[in-house]
Amino acid sequence: MAETLSRPQNLREWLAFVLVWGAAGLVTAVFCWLLGDIVWHGIGHVSWTFLTAPPENAGRQGGIGPILASTSLILGVCLAVSLPIGIGTAVLLAEFTSDQSLFGRITRRSLDILAGVPSIVFGLFGNAFFCKMLGLGFSILSGGLTLACMVLPVLIRSTEEGFRAVPASYRLSAAALGLSRTTTLIHLLLPAAVPGLLVGLVLGVGRAIAETAALIFTSGYVDRMPESLLDSGRALSIHIFDLSMNVSGGDTNAYASALILVIMLLAINGTVSWLATYGLHRKIMTV
Amino acid sequence: MSCVFRLNRCGSLVTLLTLALLGTLGSATAQTFSAEQLSGKLVITGASTLAPLIAEIGKRFESHYPKVRVDVQTGGSSRGVADVRQGFADIGMVSRAMKAEEKDLHAFSVARDGVGVILHKENPVQALTDEQVVAIYTGKIINWKDVGGKDAPITVVNKAEGRSTLEVFLHYFKIRNTDVKAHVVIGDNEQGIKTVAGNRHAIGYVSIGTAEYDESQGVPIKLLSVGGVAASTETVRNGTFPISRPLHIVTRTPPVGLTKAFIDYAQSKAVHDIIKQQYFVPMVD
Repeated sequence: MAETLSRPQNLREWLAFVLVWGAAGLVTAVFCWLLGDIVWHGIGHVSWTFLTAPPENAGRQGGIGPILASTSLILGVCLAVSLPIGIGTAVLLAEFTSDQSLFGRITRRSLDILAGVPSIVFGLFGNAFFCKMLGLGFSILSGGLTLACMVLPVLIRSTEEGFRAVPASYRLSAAALGLSRTTTLIHLLLPAAVPGLLVGLVLGVGRAIAETAALIFTSGYVDRMPESLLDSGRALSIHIFDLSMNVSGGDTNAYASALILVIMLLAINGTVSWLATYGLHRKIMTV
Repeated sequence: MSCVFRLNRCGSLVTLLTLALLGTLGSATAQTFSAEQLSGKLVITGASTLAPLIAEIGKRFESHYPKVRVDVQTGGSSRGVADVRQGFADIGMVSRAMKAEEKDLHAFSVARDGVGVILHKENPVQALTDEQVVAIYTGKIINWKDVGGKDAPITVVNKAEGRSTLEVFLHYFKIRNTDVKAHVVIGDNEQGIKTVAGNRHAIGYVSIGTAEYDESQGVPIKLLSVGGVAASTETVRNGTFPISRPLHIVTRTPPVGLTKAFIDYAQSKAVHDIIKQQYFVPMVD
């Protein structure tokens, strides 16, 4: 009896084992294939000259120097705007608004809806609002602000989760010690909520740096080295899209640019997780 | 190379001189556009087909006039027309003939482009009549065996709404877009070529210059002849190929100053090498 029972159980476990490993293996294989394909086709064209030189002949020749500069500036504007607003809203939602309040519920609901809005909608909004209404034109500023709008919902929600994950005993102990709410917030809650903030940051930056639809109508298509934030500048992902979909013979440089994009993404994620484990962890310990 | 550039510069200077003289005829302070005097920013938006070409022309124009910035943006012909009308762009790019309701705009042709039907290289079908193409795109023929091919379902690749290649194609074959039974809807030319190259049973249509280049690079596609005329940049140039389109740049008001200088430059022989480099056909003058 025991034997007949254990056999199907073994079989079931074996099946589960195969399914779980199979699924994990499939995901890993797809990722490796993708990465391998990009590295295989792209690595031969990546050089210092490629990273610094301007594109020539519609990007078929030359490098991506100005495009890297524009991408960094767009990302910089996006983060400079979205981080303070994002953290501020998250603090308000998590610490100063009750779960049940109408304001909190409406804000959270609209953020969740915004987080699911396709990026082209943000692109068209950015074009109508920043480029035309505010008169910023096609510019790095317009692009960065549009990206900030797009990244904010994700950033706010995960930072808010970070604040909620901080045990209530922290707040009570701080109150018992007679610390003001501001002091508690800056020295205790904010550092403790950093993991949530970083998750939002990684997701947001990942979404922002890979964005084409939101940027094509805002920061634009110009591949010249930007001289100010009011200049139009082509983002790396738009460059890749244009080279592979619009410019015949642009594939090799598209692959090389894609490789650089992946490396940039890995570098940013690496820095963020390094910050999470070393930089900020210590701060909490010393408080 | 430097010799070519010098010639170009001379050519454009002569053009500009003439223009400036014509423009300021009768004025006491007749002046020419020197590299120092022409300055400012030109915003150009519109057809993605034209964007790489105009951007390259813009770069060469900037090299002649260091104080000028030519910003080229993309998004489709309809967008170019809309942006110019709203005054959001100085110049629009329209990759087709101008429509009757666009008479309010001033159009200048810079190059020509043919639109050709493409199949996968391994598709045994060698030619299609116009009627067969229409029947395939309207879903009346759905299997290659009906037009002399293998027994396989046809994958119809169509262009997205607003794309000029779509309008040129529909106009020539007299099909309404609502009658097209498409399986795949694509945007840019290179995407069309990749879709057909990746599907042995697909049929699509793209810019001939792009297709010719990709074919020469070993991409498994082939261009079909239309009405007995081979699809090539050569037949587009000599005007025998029936499906071709002019590539326009448009303005809302008659161009003056910087805008005029740029348009004249884009229409001059000084940029013919760039036009060929981007797989388009220079206008015959």
